[in-house]
Order: sequence, then structure tokens, then C-alpha cells
Amino acid sequence: MNVVYVVTVGLAGLIAAILGGALPLASRVGAAVALTWLSCGAGIAAAVSVLSSGHVISLSTTAILPLTGVTLVLNPLGALFVISISVVALASTLYWLGYASHGLDTRSASSALPLFVTSMLLVPFAASVATFLVLWEMMALTSLVLVLTDQSRREAARSAAQWYAVMTHAGAAAILLALILLSAHSGGQTFADIEAHARHLSGAVRGTIFVLALLGFGSKAGAVPLHVWLPKAHAEAPGPASALMSGAMVNLGIYGIILVGNELLGGGPVWWWLLVSLLGVVSALYGALYAATSSDLKRLLAYSTTDNMGLVLIALGASGLFGAVGRPTTAAIAMVAALLLLINHSVFKGALFLAAGAVQAATGTRDLDRLGGLMRRMPVTGVVFFVGALSVAALPPFNGFVGEWLLFQGLLHGLPTSNTSVVISVAVAVAALALTGGLTVAAFVKATGIGFLGRARSIEAAEAHEAAITMRLGAAALATLCLVLGLVPMLVLPAIERAAASAGRVSATSATGGWISLHLLGLRGVLAPSLLAGGLAIAVLVVIVIRRLTHRRSHAWPAVNPVEPWGSGRKLQTARMQYTATSFAEPLQRVFDDVIRPSRDLDVSHFVESRYYIERIAYHTSNDDVLERHFYRPFIASVRWWGQRARRLQNGSVHRYLAFGFVALVIVLVVVA
Amino acid sequence: MSFRFLYQTVVHPRKVVKDLGDAPTPQYTAATLHGSLQIRHVDAGSCNGCELEVTSAFAPVYDAERFGVRLVASPRHADALLVTGPVTKNMVEPLRKTLEAMPEPRLVISLGDCAHNCGIFNGAYGVEGSVSDVVNVDVHIAGCPPRPEVIVETLRGLTGR
Repeated sequence: MNVVYVVTVGLAGLIAAILGGALPLASRVGAAVALTWLSCGAGIAAAVSVLSSGHVISLSTTAILPLTGVTLVLNPLGALFVISISVVALASTLYWLGYASHGLDTRSASSALPLFVTSMLLVPFAASVATFLVLWEMMALTSLVLVLTDQSRREAARSAAQWYAVMTHAGAAAILLALILLSAHSGGQTFADIEAHARHLSGAVRGTIFVLALLGFGSKAGAVPLHVWLPKAHAEAPGPASALMSGAMVNLGIYGIILVGNELLGGGPVWWWLLVSLLGVVSALYGALYAATSSDLKRLLAYSTTDNMGLVLIALGASGLFGAVGRPTTAAIAMVAALLLLINHSVFKGALFLAAGAVQAATGTRDLDRLGGLMRRMPVTGVVFFVGALSVAALPPFNGFVGEWLLFQGLLHGLPTSNTSVVISVAVAVAALALTGGLTVAAFVKATGIGFLGRARSIEAAEAHEAAITMRLGAAALATLCLVLGLVPMLVLPAIERAAASAGRVSATSATGGWISLHLLGLRGVLAPSLLAGGLAIAVLVVIVIRRLTHRRSHAWPAVNPVEPWGSGRKLQTARMQYTATSFAEPLQRVFDDVIRPSRDLDVSHFVESRYYIERIAYHTSNDDVLERHFYRPFIASVRWWGQRARRLQNGSVHRYLAFGFVALVIVLVVVA
Repeated sequence: MSFRFLYQTVVHPRKVVKDLGDAPTPQYTAATLHGSLQIRHVDAGSCNGCELEVTSAFAPVYDAERFGVRLVASPRHADALLVTGPVTKNMVEPLRKTLEAMPEPRLVISLGDCAHNCGIFNGAYGVEGSVSDVVNVDVHIAGCPPRPEVIVETLRGLTGR
């Protein structure tokens, strides 16, 4: 039965892709969505059976890939990822039904999207090097097609796709090298063979493999400094695709790191995990900072993805560190925190990207400085975004809170160890987490406050219409899940425990609890999210009741007394007098001026008649990614320069080419002799 | 200019405090204000004579802030609106909007003779009317311009300090 599920995942996805490419416009999206749902459903069924029984599903055939064959094994860790990807995919494809008319109903898109979902679902199944790489590459290529959807209308989409293609393939090359090194040293290409031999490799080889894998998978997860593609590609991809990329695909980057670091290599020395934590701290801070200063809604969300992946990497690094210094309980808590953060991120970032896609579909812009007042025009989308923002800001009773609480517990209780570098790095990570949390709140106060509250800053925003019913349903489903997971994290916690246990080193149980409260074993941490939410609700009720009782005579409460916004008494008030996203972020940008180095430009032009009268003032500011500006662009320029030099070698003269061949031959002969 | 005035302002400047004696009856009871009055000032078309005296009343010599009175930057923060000058046609709407922007309970103080009866601007083409033609006035401070002592005295009557 279990094998049937696995075959269904692949076959349904494949048929969905074929139908999406072959059927006429009227039916292609519907058919593709239906079959993708089938594929996701089979994936969930397989994953649930693995997680509940603890038995892995395995399937091996030589019929598909010649020479190597396909090996698929689903263990609990993979099953957890399959579930998180399926959930986002179910919501995103439902949303796609409504979004299709916004340029996502072409043959290429209708074919690429199911294939993208299926390849993501199958990556955690892959259990041999060849299978893994083929599926990984399929995932990269299909998502590249989706990023290119709007390329005929927007130049930016083309440039984003170029960045994405280069970065993802550079990452794939690093992964390829790591996996080939592994299989070459262990005499087999299935993960089972590798796992059996990897422990006996020398430290240097293991270290090289881990660093290569960390770079490759880190670039997929958007870890700084390999993140440059992410804010471009995630922003340019159409709504459902960006939700899938940010909510599901980045997870697989983390999956890869756990796969190589914990499962295949079976854990490593302290410096590996210090490197992971460092990557996490830098990503979290950098992502949060850019999210707080971006004024493009989807770019903000994309940077927030980098930020959240940073948190996951910190947790993962902490888990490895505690494992390496012999504190299995804390290691288990940190691993559970990493996986819980990942799952939560999938859900709330999926919801946020779907809501942002709805905003873009309704207004045609992602620029926060041109939005505003959407809560009234698009109430469902607005509420979904609001819930997502509360979750990402880690406020109870939403799911982000539980994950971050667990991470803080793990880090704070993990402090007393004898290893100085571990103690220092954990302390730094806690400080970085605190700053990140603050910056994230600023970013999402800005996104919600400027984008959805206030008054519309453009005609498009003022005339926006609520999204189609399927779009609202898809986004609202994920938002509801944010609340459910925030109130009852125990729904997923046993599954996460099992997955964390299967991820190699950590085997201790870390957290238990009934439906109400969550106890951390070995620590004195207790959290009861539903009681917390109940208390919050009761407190609000008590305040309302008291106000009603004491203010019965004079004022009804809550008093509704609409007044005009204060605009210095001007007769004509325009929406331009409100705070904009740029002005909201300006103080923060000023504080971090030395880090992000934004370019500012003030043009003042005077009237010809007198320079005492100003005709117009133009203020330009841009905060391009500082790493892109100071590292990637110079690098690209130098590559281009060398490319131009190299062209001189080719002048079309056959004689010269013959001379090259002759010289090369002589050199080879001399060297060989 | 009397010697005493020169002595008091230049040679030995001292804050002016008068015994209130019979204070004007406050419209706004001192109890509701709790000894603190936040004022938003609007110039509805004044010649700026009154502004000079208001500035003086809040400057170090008379220092009305000692008695719990402050000038604030936004009507959202204010208990009282202080209006000077006749209300010009262009200022009718902003004056109303400023009053609407203030939280209740609120108080309107008109300052100077022009605010009361338009003074020499009475009947001028740009003038709509006196302050009481536009908004309800609770307290009036007379004078052209009123002396700082008078301003401070009236405000003290309101704060009760």
C-alpha cells in the first residue's frame, strides 16, 4: 500500500504536468490542480504512515534512470518535510485556480507548477545520489520556469531568473561535488551505503564534504552571503509560485544540510556547527535588517525568509554543538526547535506570500509606497496578512511564538558547558535573536500598517477588489493553520520528535505534554499556548466589562467616534501626507547606515527666473543589497572583463587555432615526458 | 519707560508673580483640569501683536508654565484652543478642523480685542468675523494686545494654581 502512495505522488504529478501542457486553456489549470492535489494527498498519506508506524517506505527500480536506477526511501525526517511541502502546495494550488487568469495559465506555467510541486515532494524520498541530484535539478529548473512567467512584461523577472539560475546551479555544483566525494569514498551511491562508510572517512574529507554541502544547500535556503537570488526570484515569481518557493523550497535547503550533516555523516566536530550557527546569525540579522528597510512587499517577505532560515540554522547549529559536547537533551530540544521553526515558517510565509500575490493581482504593484487602505478593500486578504505578520513576529497565540520560545529555551538552558567557544557562540546567538526579533516586528508593522491600513496612496490601491474566492480560501486555510499550530503545537510535536530522532545524533525525547501544556524534559520549561491565549482573551473581556460597568452613563465603550485624520487643518488632505514605507524605515536605515549603505540623492531645481524659488525637489533613495553591490557586481564585472580578454584569442584565423593546438600538444608531451 | 520697569526687566530680572486675589471665575472648573492646561494656539488672522504677548507670557519673565499651562504642538494633545486675531476667510475651515481634532472636553480661549470684535479689521473684505462667530468661545482675554500679566492671570484662573 505504501509503495502505491509513492508511485501515485510521482505519476499524478507527471500526468498533471502533461495535462497542464496539453489541455486547452479552459480546463488545463483545473486538471493540473486536481492531479497535484492527488499527488500531495498521496504524499501526506505516505508521510503519515511513516510517522505513525516508524517504518520507512522504500522503493527501488532500475526502470527509470538507466545505469544508476532510482532509489526512494522515506524516513520520518523526510516525511515531516513531505507534509510541510504538501500543506503549502495544497493551499497554493487552490489559490492558483483563482490566480491563473493573472498570467499563470500558460502551457509552460501549467506544466511547470505541478512538476515543481512533485519534484519538491519527491526530494525527501530520494535515497541515492543520482536520484537526489535529478530531483533537485528538476525542482530548480521548474521553479526557474515559474520565475520567468512574467518575463515578457517585466525586465526585472528576466534578471531575477538569471541570478536565480546562476546561484542555484553554483549551489547544485557544490552539492554535486559533496555527494560525489561521499559516494566515491564509500563505494556506493545509495544513501544507505554512504551512511555505513561515512563514519570511517578522515576528518579532512568529512569537513570538505560538509562545507561544500553547507554552501550548496545554504544557497537554496537563502543563507547570507548566498542569498542574493532569493529577494529577486521570490519577489518576481507569481503569487502561488513565490509561496511555494518561500514556503516549501527553502525548507529543502535545510533538509539537505540535515541530510548530509546529521544523517549521512552522522554529526561532526564543533567547528562545523559553529559555522552553521555563524551562517544562521548573519542570515537572521541581515535578512531582518533588509526586511525592515525594504519598501517592496514581496522583497520584504523574501528577506524575511532569509531571516527565518537564519533562525533555523541557528537552532540546527546549536543542536549540533550540544550534540558534539555531549548534551543530548538540549541537542534534541534545539533540533525540535529547528524543525518546528521550519514548519511554522512554511505555514505563515505561505500565507503571507499568497496574500501579497493577491495584493499584486488586485493593484498591479508591490510597492508599499503606492499601497494603503487595503484592509477595507480586501478584508480577507488583509486579515490573512495580519495573521501572518503576527506569526512571523512570534506573538502568541500564533505559531511563530512556540517555535521561537523553544529555540530560546534550548539556547538559554544550553549555556553552561565547558567548551568556551560553544558558550560564546550561544550567547551571541541569543543576542542576535533578540535584535532579529525587534527588526522583524518593525518590518511587519511597516508592511501591515503602510500596506493595509491608512488611506490608498494610488488609484490602483483605491480601486482594488478582493481576490477570487479560491485565492481567499487558499490563503485563509494557511492563516487558520497559523492559529491552530499556535494554540495546539502538540498536533505536530510528536511527528517532529520522531523526525528529529531519525535525524541521526539526537535520540532523546525532549518535550512531552498533553493537549494543553508543553513540558521540556530535563529543563524546567513549561508552556501552555492555549491557556496563554485563553488568559489573553479573558483579560481583554475583563477590561471590556469593567469599562462598560464604570462608563455606562457617560460614554458607550468602545466608543466609536470617527474623526478626520489631523492634517494641520488643511482643507484638502491627500493620501500623500501619510507615512510611507520609506519614511517609516528611514530612522532604522539611518541607524544601520554603515551596514546597508543606502544611496541617497537630493535634486533641487530652481525656477529660471530666480534661484530663491524652488521648482521641484526630487529625493531618490535605494537600498540595493550591499553584498550584491560590493561583492557580486564587482565579481561579475571582473568575470566579464576576463571574458572580453579571452575573446582576443579567438580572431577567426585558422592558422592561429592550429598554432594553439600545436603549442598545447608540445606542452602536454613535455609534461608527460 | 519707568525706572522700575527697567530695573525689573534688565538689571534684576525676576519672575513676575502676582497674588491672584479675586481670580476670575473659571469656566472650566479647576477640579477637572487638575492644575494642568495644555494649549494649542491658532493665529486666525492676527497682526501678531497678540502673538508677541503670548510669547512673552510663556517666556522666562512671566513663565506661565509655572502655573501648569503649556503650549503644545498638536490639537490632539490640547485641552484648550487659544485663538488670536479676527477670523479671516481662509482660516475659518482650519480653525473648525483644529477644534474638531481636539479631544473632549475642550475649551476655547479667544485672546485680544480682534478675536472679540474684529477690532480695526472689522468689515475688512478678507475677514469672516470674530472668533465667536465661528466657534463657541468659553473664555475671553481682552486687550489690544493684552498684557502678559493679564494672560497669565486668566490662565491661572483656569488651572487654579
